[in-house]
Amino acid sequence: MRKAARGSSEAERGRAVLSLGILAFRWVSLGWMVILALTAGELRRPALAVATIAGLAAWTGWLTVARPRPTWPVLACDLALAVGLNLVAGLVMPAGTVGERPFFAAGYPVAAAVTWGAARGVGGGVAAGLVLGASLVAGQLANGIDLASSEPAVLLDLAGGTLNFVLAGGAVGLVARLLERSAGQLRQATEETIRARERAARLAERESLGRQIHDSVLQALALVHKRGRELAAGGPVPPDQVAGLAEMAAGQERALRSLILRDPADDGTPAGAASLRAALEGLAGAERSLPVTAGATGALWLPARHVEELVAAVRQALDNVVEHAGATRVALFAEEDAGVVVLTVRDDGRGFRYDERQLLAQGKIGLAKSIKGRVEQLGGTMAVTSRPGAGTEVELRVPIREDERDR
Amino acid sequence: MSGDEKVRVMVVDDHPVWRDGVRADLEASGRVEVVAEAADGGDAIERAREAMPELVLMDLNLPTVPGVEAIRRIVEESPHVKVLVLSASAEEADVLEAVKVGASGYLLKSATAAELVDAVVRVRAGEPTFSPSLAALVLGEFRRMSGTTEPGLTARETEVLRLVAKGYTYKEIADQLFLSTKTVQNHVQNILTKLQLSRRYELMRYAIRRGLDRS
Ligand SMILES: Nc1ncnc2c1ncn2[C@@H]1O[C@H](COP(=O)(O)OP(=O)(O)OP(=O)(O)O)[C@@H](O)[C@H]1O
Ligand SMILES: [Mg+2]
Repeated sequence: MRKAARGSSEAERGRAVLSLGILAFRWVSLGWMVILALTAGELRRPALAVATIAGLAAWTGWLTVARPRPTWPVLACDLALAVGLNLVAGLVMPAGTVGERPFFAAGYPVAAAVTWGAARGVGGGVAAGLVLGASLVAGQLANGIDLASSEPAVLLDLAGGTLNFVLAGGAVGLVARLLERSAGQLRQATEETIRARERAARLAERESLGRQIHDSVLQALALVHKRGRELAAGGPVPPDQVAGLAEMAAGQERALRSLILRDPADDGTPAGAASLRAALEGLAGAERSLPVTAGATGALWLPARHVEELVAAVRQALDNVVEHAGATRVALFAEEDAGVVVLTVRDDGRGFRYDERQLLAQGKIGLAKSIKGRVEQLGGTMAVTSRPGAGTEVELRVPIREDERDR
Repeated sequence: MSGDEKVRVMVVDDHPVWRDGVRADLEASGRVEVVAEAADGGDAIERAREAMPELVLMDLNLPTVPGVEAIRRIVEESPHVKVLVLSASAEEADVLEAVKVGASGYLLKSATAAELVDAVVRVRAGEPTFSPSLAALVLGEFRRMSGTTEPGLTARETEVLRLVAKGYTYKEIADQLFLSTKTVQNHVQNILTKLQLSRRYELMRYAIRRGLDRS
């Protein structure tokens, strides 16, 4: 949360620097006004000049101490004072001198244009600049200059002054907007980082949930599973009852295992990815007539449909081992190599000579249809390596397209 | 296995029920003597020092000191001690880590009592019990590491490892590749050594990187 505020605080800091700069500018202008007033020789209305400077000093002092937010009343007051200052300049300076000699108002009115720009953007800055330009005209009139009969130079001066105000206000407005925008971008980037981090935290939470289940439930289930099997093998308890218990425990264990190993990206939806290794471990744990090991080079996240089909094919192969092989053990092994998943079911049984045509002629469809057919539907191939006396290896190869995996 | 001497085993697991069960299984075989039990990693390091078991049978999910760290310390202090990991599920990363720091093999907790006793006896005899599923994990690990500077596997070693993963015994592999069983065992031992070396390289690289960052 602290991080979330960073983008906006960045903008805040930028704005603070800007307003400090403007304040400094105000004080320098004020000082310059005092110097000019003291050195300019006689002023037409000294009392008004002193009162004006005092008033401005009070206003600037308040701005410095209170640091008010640039609300409309504050902005309006500031602009009104600047306009007033331009008028007063016309009133206090010797008649007809506004155009030629250093201006009594000095740079102070520019601060108003700049403040408007900072607070209200380019539009605000330009508008304030125009108002100040108009007040310049009023100041000239107050100074007793007849604009209608003035030389073009005076009018050009006036236009130049107005342009200065407008440019200052507009430029600062632009800077303020840019500052705001980049702060916004920073904030957005920060928010994205936070979202990513929250996601990672959620995943970690899931993982720890999985670990907890692993630590408690899985351990207990593994124990019941194991004890149940052994009791069924020769305990005084009715064996079928204990076997049922073991079965149930094994089922629970499998369910929990697949819950732990499920793709964290898919939250329980059946569509999506599944871990081939988890599925093979489930199969191995479920086989009751001989020991089956399951291994893989990784979790092997594949499209759920691929895993389903492969599991069905492996189940058929296991049935064959149980039925025909007379094996002492079976190993399931899966690896992924250059976009191809290779799954082998290997037993150490009696082996046989694989002849597809002969098997089909005898109406045996387990290998040819249930296994090979399934794999071919996935665009893959099946190979049987077996010799009488040397066990059997059934190898399934299925290509995995990256775009499918990432669904 | 030499003579009739029982294998001196220490059982480490935080679940007392589980420890009792394992002890009963091991002792019922008549080939194993449980000389100590420990309920957490720190305990395990200490008791291994006192009871001097030949083999430590341990889970990886342990309180206080994590299993992998406990294995590292135990093997460091007494290199002749064998460690067999007995884990509730093939938590790839943990199991690999355990083997890298010196565990000789791992077994799933759903293994039968006979499988457990058999593994204990074989590990004590110095046979690296590369179960098919562990071989599969190791194969995956080397594949992930390939291209880095770690010592990779030779083509022959990869072939042997894949056959172990497919459930072939050393004898069957020897027959298939026209090698002696001893040669196959050597290959397996070399694979293990490279795996443990890879961890040392990892640590070294890490240390170097840290050092460079500092300077
Ligand atoms: N693992 C194996 N070990 C030894 N022989 C096998 C093995 N798998 C298959 N066979 C042989 O191959 C034959 C064909 O197997 P297949 O699964 O196609 O048919 P089936 O099992 O006889 O009948 P079903 O159609 O019920 O599966 C089997 O009858 C058996 O002789
Ligand atoms: Mg069949």
